[in-house]
Amino acid sequence: MSKTILIVDDSISIRQVVGLALKGAGFDVIEGCDGKDALSKCDGRKIHLVISDVNMPNMDGITFVTELKKLPAYRFTPVIMLTTEGAADKMAAGKAAGAKAWVVKPFKAEQMLAAVEKLILP
Amino acid sequence: MDLQESELLFINEAEELLEVMESCLLEVESEEAAIEEHIDAIFRAAHTIKGSAGLFGFDSIVAFTHSVESVLDKVRAASLGFDNELTDLMLECQQHMAQMIKALSDPKVLTDNEKGTRLLEQLDHYIHPDKSSAAAPEPVVEEAPTDPKFWRIQIDYGEDVFRDGMDPCSQLRFLENLGRLHQVRVAARFPETEFDPESCYLTLQLALESDATKTEIEGVFEFIQESSEVSIGSPKAMLDNILAYPEESDRIGEVLVNTGVVTERELQQALHTQKQSLQENKPTDTLGSMLVQKGVVDESMVDAALTKQKGQDHRKPADFQFLKVDARKLDQLIGLIGELVTSGATNELLISQVQNEKLDESFSQMVHLVEQIRDGALGLRMVQIGESFGRLKRIVRDVAKELDKDIQLDILGAETELDKSMVEKLSDPLMHIVRNAIDHGIEPQDIRLYKGKPAKGYLKLNAYHEAGAVVIEIVDDGAGLNAEKVRAKAVEKGLITAEQSLGKEDIYKLIFEPGFSTASAVTNLSGRGVGMDVVKRNIDELRGQISIESELDVGTTFRIRLPLTLAIIDGFEVSVGESHLVIPVNLIQECISFDASQMTKDRNYLNVRDEVLPFVKIREVLAIGGTRAEREHVVIVQFGNNRAGLVVDHLRGELQAVIKPLNEMFRSIRGIGGSTILGSGDIGFILDVPKLIELATHQESRRTHLTSVTSSKGEL
Repeated sequence: MSKTILIVDDSISIRQVVGLALKGAGFDVIEGCDGKDALSKCDGRKIHLVISDVNMPNMDGITFVTELKKLPAYRFTPVIMLTTEGAADKMAAGKAAGAKAWVVKPFKAEQMLAAVEKLILP
Repeated sequence: MDLQESELLFINEAEELLEVMESCLLEVESEEAAIEEHIDAIFRAAHTIKGSAGLFGFDSIVAFTHSVESVLDKVRAASLGFDNELTDLMLECQQHMAQMIKALSDPKVLTDNEKGTRLLEQLDHYIHPDKSSAAAPEPVVEEAPTDPKFWRIQIDYGEDVFRDGMDPCSQLRFLENLGRLHQVRVAARFPETEFDPESCYLTLQLALESDATKTEIEGVFEFIQESSEVSIGSPKAMLDNILAYPEESDRIGEVLVNTGVVTERELQQALHTQKQSLQENKPTDTLGSMLVQKGVVDESMVDAALTKQKGQDHRKPADFQFLKVDARKLDQLIGLIGELVTSGATNELLISQVQNEKLDESFSQMVHLVEQIRDGALGLRMVQIGESFGRLKRIVRDVAKELDKDIQLDILGAETELDKSMVEKLSDPLMHIVRNAIDHGIEPQDIRLYKGKPAKGYLKLNAYHEAGAVVIEIVDDGAGLNAEKVRAKAVEKGLITAEQSLGKEDIYKLIFEPGFSTASAVTNLSGRGVGMDVVKRNIDELRGQISIESELDVGTTFRIRLPLTLAIIDGFEVSVGESHLVIPVNLIQECISFDASQMTKDRNYLNVRDEVLPFVKIREVLAIGGTRAEREHVVIVQFGNNRAGLVVDHLRGELQAVIKPLNEMFRSIRGIGGSTILGSGDIGFILDVPKLIELATHQESRRTHLTSVTSSKGEL
């Protein structure tokens, strides 16, 4: 059974392209368009990896990760955060929330895939 | 859905975002809304477009939008105001972005690259306000492929690795993208108690054959670097990289990073550790040995890099740290500064007569500068005494060996500075005193043990600054001077008469008399009675003083006091009759008015706040004629532990005095150490304060005893 990755970003095109790349590599992908939407998808089903943007309407990425880590089912779920270069304060906040991996925007689909593969196997 | 469809999706999305951006900007321009209200939406539009464009590889859109975003970020952080000019620029940028997006789907639309460049330049002014033009892009260096290499990688996983959602297996799998894993050894570090199943206790040792750079390999572990220890040992083959490295850089860290042996991160980490232990005052290792210990590099590589570094040192001698200057040039400079000080004093006098406030102000500023130049120039001549102390170290060792004595030498205050010419003239006297201390002072071991002293003799050289003087002490824990023996010897040599009664200190001073020696056995090194008188003469030449403190069987201390400067001093001008006199300021304690009623009858002692203070009347000492002033003053001076009052007519004020040595003919005049030219052009005499204090304290004993030690030498 292939593993499931949750992509959270307010840009539909990012979700699309990352989703395509991940699906091509053999992952299952579910999407969330902001923190709030994503949290509603985390209903206890097995999610092996979360990829989340920081800057989003309704609920930002850091709040989302903080909330996610409070749920027992997702306590150990690895999180890749998407960040713009030089946002050191955001990175510190994200780390405190429980995100240990970062990918700097803008990135190419292959770069994202490489980052994912360092964390989980398809 | 295929990628092309996704691209279309991106184009639609971007167009929507650009519309949002446009309407927000227009609202701000027409002042319908404040920028604060819309900046988040405008920023997010640019931010999202940049992020998505990167995903599709539309690099020109990324680059342009990045600049737009940077400027907007500044506005958002309120470090940049959003004025009409910037609104115009942003609208133009928005238009340009729309054009670029449109060009993606419609080949008929052409992007105006010139406009893009112009806009980027304008944006750059906002991003780097202090830079006139955009920075050139960093050149990309293509790395030449290298031979297959074996990397030794050790990963000590942190306990939190599983909790952070990291999977070691995925990294191993990923490593295979870079090369071939030849060996994977798994070791566990299970705790003896309290095993936590959620914690990771693994250590992996890998052998990887890969052409990848070290930075690439390090990248595989980027997500666990914070929680785990990853050390990547560079292949031996990399030694060749170092050997081929040009001798360009002068830091070992740079050599190692530039050759790819050490990654920037490893270097930063090692530097950080080094800094930390420095702050905690722990002993630090060199950068090289730290990297070797961490398993990052091989010792041979560090050695090779060090050789490169040394080659570097060899080619670039450190001639910028010290500059050798001809002493004559320096003396010339100091001489000129002396003239400057003198002419400054003349100007000061003239300016004070003009009474122009502005002139006064600017002149006092100049005087201040001249003072600094003076101190700086005199400082150039100053050297640390440590050098001559160092030479004494050798003498102590040699003499102690010859006499079969075991001596511990302590050197304190080696960093104390004094005039270079003094250091030269001091080396002989110091050598004599030290030799004498070892030869006559410190007893042979059996006698020391018999006296209950440690077998090892103790000798201390100490230098320090004291009000206007440098003090050098030579302390030993030897036999001490036997006052009776010295006295008997002096009588025998006819230096004093048997009836003469002398204080202990005066008796000690007899050893400085020519032809005096108390050692019963004449040794190879000292004891011929030549030396101590030479010592005294040398110190006198430097306008210094030497005193002896001694206690029988406890030890002796020779204390040499030397004036700090030889050329220019801060002086205090006083006058007696028509004569102008200068007293070095740093020797002055206070000035009081002279009250004849405080005087003990017929004795040259003053009562100052219930303390007796010997004094001398300068008028009498220097035989200056004329009648004494109605109100005389007493300048209280101190040199070493002795104080005395100098009675003068008038107090004039401070000045900088350039000391001109007196002609040989006048050297014998007691109480005068030199002369100087005053601002008025008159000659001022610089008082020899130590001599005058000596004179004041000795006047009393002179009254009691018909002859004193010094008078026996015919000096007084």
